[in-house]
Amino acid sequence: MRSLASRGLVGVLVVALAATLAPSANAQKRGGTLTIVRPTDPVSLEPNLETTAPGAWVYFNILEGLLTLDDKMQVKPSLASSYEILSPTKVRFKLRPNIKFHDGTPFNAEAVRFTYDRALKGTPPARWASLAGSLDHAEVVDNLTVDIVTREPYGPILRTLAMYCMGIVSPAAVQKLGQDFSRAPVGTGPFKFVEWKTNTHVIIERNNDYWGDKALLDRVVFKVVPEEGARMIGLQTGDADMVLIPSPAQLPALRKDPKFAVHETTGIRVVFAGLHAGLPPLDDVRVRQALLHAVDRKAILDNIMEGSAGPAMGVLAPGVFGYKDMQLDKLYPFDRAKAKALLAQAGWTPGPDGILVKGGQRLSLSWLAARGRYPKDGEITEAIQAMFKEVGVEAKVQVLEWAAVFQQVRGNPLNHHMFTLGWVTSNADADYSLYPLFHSKQAPPAGWNTSRYVNPRVDTLVEQARRSLNQTEREKLYGEVQDILAKEPVWIPVYTTKEIVVTKASVKGFHIHPVEYNLALWKTWLDR
Amino acid sequence: MLTFLVRRLLLAVPVLLGVVFVVMLTIDLLPGDAVTLMLGEHATKDAVAALREHLGLDKPFAVRYLDYVSRVARGDLGRSIQQNRPVADELADAWPATLELTMAALVIATLLGIGAGVASAVWPNSLFDAGARLGSLFGLSMPIFWTGLVLIVIFSLWLNWLPVGGAGSLGHLVLPAITLALPSVAMVARMTRSAVLEVLREDYVRTARAKGLAERWVLGRHALRNAFIPILTLLGLQSGQLMGGAVLTETVFAWPGLGRMMVKAIFARDYILLQGAVLVFALAFVVINLLVDLSYGALDPRIGRQG
Amino acid sequence: MNAWARFRRNRLALIGLALVLVLALSAALAPWIAPYDPARQSLFEKRAKPGAKYLLGADEFGRDILSRVIYGSRIALLVGLLSAIIAVGGGLVLGTLAGFIGGWLDSVMMRAIEILLAFPYLLLALAIVAALGNGAINTTIAVGVWGVPGVTRIVRGSVLVLRETEYVGAARALGAPVAALLRRHILPNVLPGLIVYATLFMANAILLEAALSFLGLGVQPPTASWGLMVSTGRDVLLIAPHVATVPGLAIMLAVLAFNLVGDGLRDALDPRLRGST
Repeated sequence: MRSLASRGLVGVLVVALAATLAPSANAQKRGGTLTIVRPTDPVSLEPNLETTAPGAWVYFNILEGLLTLDDKMQVKPSLASSYEILSPTKVRFKLRPNIKFHDGTPFNAEAVRFTYDRALKGTPPARWASLAGSLDHAEVVDNLTVDIVTREPYGPILRTLAMYCMGIVSPAAVQKLGQDFSRAPVGTGPFKFVEWKTNTHVIIERNNDYWGDKALLDRVVFKVVPEEGARMIGLQTGDADMVLIPSPAQLPALRKDPKFAVHETTGIRVVFAGLHAGLPPLDDVRVRQALLHAVDRKAILDNIMEGSAGPAMGVLAPGVFGYKDMQLDKLYPFDRAKAKALLAQAGWTPGPDGILVKGGQRLSLSWLAARGRYPKDGEITEAIQAMFKEVGVEAKVQVLEWAAVFQQVRGNPLNHHMFTLGWVTSNADADYSLYPLFHSKQAPPAGWNTSRYVNPRVDTLVEQARRSLNQTEREKLYGEVQDILAKEPVWIPVYTTKEIVVTKASVKGFHIHPVEYNLALWKTWLDR
Repeated sequence: MLTFLVRRLLLAVPVLLGVVFVVMLTIDLLPGDAVTLMLGEHATKDAVAALREHLGLDKPFAVRYLDYVSRVARGDLGRSIQQNRPVADELADAWPATLELTMAALVIATLLGIGAGVASAVWPNSLFDAGARLGSLFGLSMPIFWTGLVLIVIFSLWLNWLPVGGAGSLGHLVLPAITLALPSVAMVARMTRSAVLEVLREDYVRTARAKGLAERWVLGRHALRNAFIPILTLLGLQSGQLMGGAVLTETVFAWPGLGRMMVKAIFARDYILLQGAVLVFALAFVVINLLVDLSYGALDPRIGRQG
Repeated sequence: MNAWARFRRNRLALIGLALVLVLALSAALAPWIAPYDPARQSLFEKRAKPGAKYLLGADEFGRDILSRVIYGSRIALLVGLLSAIIAVGGGLVLGTLAGFIGGWLDSVMMRAIEILLAFPYLLLALAIVAALGNGAINTTIAVGVWGVPGVTRIVRGSVLVLRETEYVGAARALGAPVAALLRRHILPNVLPGLIVYATLFMANAILLEAALSFLGLGVQPPTASWGLMVSTGRDVLLIAPHVATVPGLAIMLAVLAFNLVGDGLRDALDPRLRGST
């Protein structure tokens, strides 16, 4: 006979069990197909060949790396269960056991070694290899332990390994498919590849053998719809459940509409008007500061970006490790009088047609921009051109196709004063931006210091920060760099991107990530 | 006849060689190159040099040209620079869609255009003529994306009769075909009107009328046959334009055709992919011109075989 | 009755002429008739609907559309007329040569035309811009050059037919010099169709310039071109349709004007031709 106590215990357990099993009001539903529309087709679905968003959006769900960056911008273990920094040039990772690739082969240290060898030492190496710092190779210690080795101490190592393009690939699949692997990747992720019809769609489906929480959707279809207007209409007619790169002008209405959900967060890309600090008259810091005062950045954010982008506080985006608010709005508020005063101080006086002159020379700047490379890049250029005119600066804008702009901006010498560019800190670590953009030896074609900025103190700081593994120290060093850059600006940062995705209200569980490539779909489900 | 055909097809060879030469040369002379664009922010000097060497893009122009031509002669169109995928596969993905859209648009343009043009010629300067002129000019002047988006709004959003974009069924073809055809309808209609009017006033037509022959007979037998020569030339040109100029339509309706592929290739300086597509177009033009020239002979026996 | 008198009697043609005059005056007198500076921005008034302040509304920068349309007529006329002249001029010469002389010259030229027709238009424009720089004139040249093969084929086709007609055959048998043949028999018969084609070509030309300017190959900011206004207005077509539609209608009116004049010219010149033997 059972005692009262044990009967009571069983009763409690039964009730508890029933409570967990009973559907709650917001129960997740399994199943369904999510249709996503975006502007372009990927070039490839494997990270070695494709580091831009169209491919990354897909393979982020198929491949996984040792580490990952969550949507709070923290490094979290993924395929690795733990890590240990053995030396300034070596990090040891313990891998999770019993994980299989989509083709059934086991995930182990050998697969990690294979992936990194292929990426860093392959012919040709991965596209991202050159900016992975001094990442050198991976060493197998035992079946579930692998060491990542760098040539020199590399501060950003963890965030670099957490990048979206560091997914581990199945060696067996690569060997079997050869070059076709780039069109049918095999990884360990919550989704696996189904089919890719060029310029039409890519389909992925749930991996039912996934090692973690299984995805809720059955399938995801990524469709190509180049025309922005058509994408938005597709959302309204039901042809699409989710729109990537939506139309900014329609966002205010969509935010108020209960049939749709607008998911947004600050991103990690800064779009700016770069100034060639080596070309007169921009070599005079007062002129550059005057230009900053002449731009009404709020007007641009409100009227051109229309809430689809956030203010640029500095040269980095918040969320990037090492970010410091450079207080640009306080240091260089929109103030035409101040701009004119600074220019006058620098020796410029109004000429007959309103454009400033000095020593017979007009204050005329040549400006290169592309249209459509970054959101509203052509428009912000045109708006700032008009704003410059108000303070007597003439900007001769040349809008060219991106290839031509790219060629000129990477060229040496650069014969233009200004250029409209954007820069995304791909590994969310300040090193990725501050080193190639502001180190004096990184002028093109070696790096991306398109402004030809020279400051030995900044050089020392970014070099030190790159080699240090002490993250607190690094943060301090980067803070000082940004303080210096605030005093002698070489950019007019215009906006920080916002990652914005619009979905039907029936799409639930979707969390937008600040990093534009990290389109995580495994927690998403459809309420219908 | 056979010698004529064979001769014309053989003459296609220098055309194809010439086109490849000009395209390759132009891409070389344009600023920017495929490798640096592909690598983007990762384009360090070493990476660029390594990739160029790997893809064989560092060889001089003449070497690359002859290399390409000899490979094409063996049936190998090469691999696209961006994707490293066989160009033949890329073209196979896109060509049927382009063909479908072009044919549909051509049929619409021909039927509507010639119909409207003939009617305009038979009743010149009438209300119908004015209406047709205004309507077709509207179709010609408003940019394709304008007409495309308006049609999508009306038929997809408001009436929900047709899908928003993509390809697949006949329903998907309707809107893009109409949008693409509209500018051509105007051209064909106005040129038809002009050509038919001209012929209607020719002596032999007056003679036929004087002889009391029925108007329809006059129109059919004499007027149209000779009016057809410039109309056919125009149709030949238009079909070429429809093929190559479908980029905007393909963009608005997400139609996976060759137009968008070519534009992407041009911007990425992927000349191997571009050349593959251009060869397809060149071949198509050769065939179209051949058909048009043959029809000259058929319609007007006085014209001997040309070319 | 001479051609001008016949033209005058054609009401539609006169309307066309009037519109062309309006266009020309608009271009010439732009600084005096435009209510605002076309480059004057007022960001917070972006996309303003047509009303008292901005008669035809404002664009995405808050610039007055009416003023930009008025100034834009300059580019439209430049692009439309100049490119048509290049295309027609070039095509006429080449087409006549090919059609009249025939033989190997015709063969070679037709092969060259086939090469040009297959050559992607965008590439041609990029090449011309790379060589000559961007700006309205260079894109106009690109558009004109692009039009030459088409005109050549049309002219050639007509010339082929005319060459074989009885009166030309007779005239040649009588020993008429080539120049006279061309001038009196062939060209006057080619011209009517050509005029119509040219006026339609202008619409294409303006729209092509729009696409090129949108890609950055044509006019540079802040210059106003109707085509560019339509292209940039495309993003807001669904919420502020006037931004793209108004310049689009301007294009249509200009094309209509030239088309009416062209048709009128064609009709006016036609009866005169029949009498020329």
